[in-house]
Amino acid sequence: MSKSQMGVKLVDPETVFNTSYDVVIVGAGIAGAIVAKQLSEQGKTVLILEAGTGEGLTLKGFQGYVETFYSAVNKNPNSPYPYNPNAPSPTDGLYSYFEEKGPLPLSGSYTRVLGGTTMHWEGKTIRMLPEDFKLRTNYGQGLDWPINYEDLQPYYRKAEYEIGVAGDVEQQKELGVTFKKNYVFPMKELPPSYLDKQVRKGLEKQKVSIGEETKELKLSTFPQGRNSEPNPDYTKYNHGYNFVPEGMASVNPVEYGERCQGNANCVPICPVQAKYDARKTLNTIAFPERVHLLPQAVASQVEIDSATGRVVAIHYKRYRDKNSPQHTVGTAKGRLFVLAAGAVENAKLMLASNLPSTSGLMGCNLMDHPFLLAWALMPKVTGTMRGPIVTSGISTFRQGAFRKQQCAFAIDIHNDGWGWSGTGATDVVRDAIDSKHKYGKELHEELKNRISKQLLLAFMCELPADPSNRVSIHPDYKDQLGNYRPVIHFDIPDYCKKTFAYARNLSRTIFKLLGAEDHTHYGKSDPAYFKYQGEDYWFRGGNHFSGTHVMGTNKNNSVVDKNQRSWDYQNLYLLGAGSMPSIGAGNTTLSIAALAFLASKQMFKDLN
Amino acid sequence: MTKRAKHIKTVEDLHQYLKDAMKIEHATLPPYLTALYSLKPGSNLEAFHMIRAIAVEEMLHLTLVVNVFNAVGGNIEGVLTDSEFVPHYPTYLPTGATDFQVNVEKFSREALETFCNIERSEDMKEESSSDNVSEEEPSQPKEFLLPIFGSCADGRKNQPEQKFFSIGQFYQEVIDGFMDLYEQEGQNLFSSDSSKQISREYYYNGAGEIVKVTNLDSALKALYIIQNQGEGSRKGEIYDSEKKLCHYYRFQQLELGRYYVIDESNPINSDQPDNPTGDSFTVDWDAVYPVLENAKLSDYPQGSQLYTHGQEFQKAYSKFLAQIEKSFDGNPKQLIPAVGEMFRLKELANSLIRNPIPGKKGVNGAPIYR
Repeated sequence: MSKSQMGVKLVDPETVFNTSYDVVIVGAGIAGAIVAKQLSEQGKTVLILEAGTGEGLTLKGFQGYVETFYSAVNKNPNSPYPYNPNAPSPTDGLYSYFEEKGPLPLSGSYTRVLGGTTMHWEGKTIRMLPEDFKLRTNYGQGLDWPINYEDLQPYYRKAEYEIGVAGDVEQQKELGVTFKKNYVFPMKELPPSYLDKQVRKGLEKQKVSIGEETKELKLSTFPQGRNSEPNPDYTKYNHGYNFVPEGMASVNPVEYGERCQGNANCVPICPVQAKYDARKTLNTIAFPERVHLLPQAVASQVEIDSATGRVVAIHYKRYRDKNSPQHTVGTAKGRLFVLAAGAVENAKLMLASNLPSTSGLMGCNLMDHPFLLAWALMPKVTGTMRGPIVTSGISTFRQGAFRKQQCAFAIDIHNDGWGWSGTGATDVVRDAIDSKHKYGKELHEELKNRISKQLLLAFMCELPADPSNRVSIHPDYKDQLGNYRPVIHFDIPDYCKKTFAYARNLSRTIFKLLGAEDHTHYGKSDPAYFKYQGEDYWFRGGNHFSGTHVMGTNKNNSVVDKNQRSWDYQNLYLLGAGSMPSIGAGNTTLSIAALAFLASKQMFKDLN
Repeated sequence: MTKRAKHIKTVEDLHQYLKDAMKIEHATLPPYLTALYSLKPGSNLEAFHMIRAIAVEEMLHLTLVVNVFNAVGGNIEGVLTDSEFVPHYPTYLPTGATDFQVNVEKFSREALETFCNIERSEDMKEESSSDNVSEEEPSQPKEFLLPIFGSCADGRKNQPEQKFFSIGQFYQEVIDGFMDLYEQEGQNLFSSDSSKQISREYYYNGAGEIVKVTNLDSALKALYIIQNQGEGSRKGEIYDSEKKLCHYYRFQQLELGRYYVIDESNPINSDQPDNPTGDSFTVDWDAVYPVLENAKLSDYPQGSQLYTHGQEFQKAYSKFLAQIEKSFDGNPKQLIPAVGEMFRLKELANSLIRNPIPGKKGVNGAPIYR
């Protein structure tokens, strides 16, 4: 009698050695999980190699992450995930994983655990604008995509279902996103926070100019991969059924989808699992016997048969203890191979395998969304620290003719205070108690006045593709398993710095309109500090690394084709934001997911 | 015409049974919530999630009953806020079954046994009919159903006293009575005003479907969901009509320390009752706060912080019931902030459960629901 639960089957290296799979996937993040789910449902056998540990699949494992986060002194995007020297993540540990060669640091991070960077993502699910796909044609910047928005639109819908997106289509339409007639997201928008409402009130009908244009400072809510109320109108996009949100991701299903409770630590971890992460996709695979997963297996080489020009195997290093470099080596064989380890790791693995691609663009065109932050104290208590990290923002600057002169951007209104700027609530508490010796009612007042009024605006800026921003490798820089650490060359062009300057001025205007007291200060000692037109700035990395195996129209101008298949090796796919030729001013995860659906379709054809 | 129902003869009878149903659904909440809150943070994750999910489903059931009640012209005002709506614990279940009592107590083997009893199905006992039960225990106190809302006077006092072995049996009587009355009354049974119906947009948890009740189909659907989620749809199966594990077997997993496996694509291949084959886990019976059983306000020394917290919880719980009653009475939008109040209840419960009672060594406070 065959009994099954949903999910994946954890296997050992021996099983992997003795099995030939239809598909071998490197990386159990959102792209790999979607491909595994899609192809297994169509009868294909799949192996996923995951560099990180796999404990997040169990209830206990996930709770362990939550506890680690609670007890971490420094709350950063990777603080729930114990440092793993065998599969390090950027910004973790004592030494830096990235070898930053400058001139500016890429900064930012990703997460090498099962679930990938969705284990720390904030959860915004932004569709790119139609005009973003033709950045070169429209604005003379960066690169064009080989497909357009309409090609990707049906896959955006699939991605929105898989992630469980909450949002308001009408507001997105006003921003220039197009939708199929009568489309709604699976769930209704997350309600704007009290802080949002105060900002909205202060900016009502206010306009500013940018280039030749005038823009309204109009707030809109962000679509998010976070449980709210299912939208009854979505049933027609769900075979007549109501949308049922996924809840706790656990090998043993114990809980239905819980709704966002506004714990305000979405990055890095949602304690009630209202936020989507790739474990939810992995744990809802209907045929676990078809999807094998080998954790603690770090892919180290892609092997090509030079006679046929096809990939024949992925070599990996398997460790038992994350703190010991001891490992065994193994090989995974299959018909089709998928690298889904993130933009930086995908490129690094290809370069480590001496496969720079015909175009030589492997690792080049590294993009991110650099963020400029500006912070102030609101005149009255606004209840900061309640709600998911961001509910609303100003997204009217994502489009416009000004993109010929300066980059597009979007503004987040942070519900979690100034934390990201480096002076968070903890610092206020320390100062009030240790330096000012406050206690009782006075302490309460002090905290209320200094924390509950905090407003942080984050300006997410577009960065166009530039081949000199890149990931490379060098034998001097390796981790303890002997795998390469990424060497990063990165700079921000004046095209973006112009927007930084614009954004800083805009923040002054906004604070003035709100009667807020500007506390923004960019210290020179910050590693990401720079001067532009006489003013000081620093930026924060956006963790949206992309462009490193860019898609294009032929093997000389790109690494992969429009289906994300390698031009050079017909049974190799490189998935993720690494394939994106431009990223607009939109967070990348939804597009990564949509592209994974699109690629799965072609993979299925290839396999038959 | 043959009547299906044994006792429900009139629409008034039906109203009374539905009020009793609300009392039954609610009566499980204080024990489930207290056991849930008594778990030490970070321990017994399996128990935490299972009990929590079931408590949420009991609230769904309460809401479904209210939808049926409002649909057939019931007046909800004063029902949840009745001084006798919250039982005096220890209590027999308002189904009238007298072979076990329900305590409000910490998570323990005994508590779990009670929970299984609450969610048991008639198949689990040979002598399943209510007559047999009363014959076996002739000396037990009789009636638990009728006096609930001081309704003895209104037409039911002459009826024989009823007992139901399981909640499922109780609902079978409701369903039977419903069908009988529908045959007599047709669509007239249903009120034309659907503004009091709680629909999906107001009630969210993902714990199954909320059903707007406007006709026989939707009424039966609502009642079947309640019946099935507790004890299963058919004899010898561990899952309900939504292919989810029934409450009884979810609790049993904690007794046995092992998960049941349900094959959703082919449910027949699922585990058999009493023989789970899934992953095993350990229940840490000691990682529990030693809360006072069936606590009353008078158990806390007057003037103590615990007394104040006990009072605050009591008030907050009454307020919570009043708020949801109001939202059931044509103000569905108010259900959302009312559910938000539960965060406050949890906080208040913690301030009781995590603190020892002065003068009682090794015994902590507990929430007081009435």
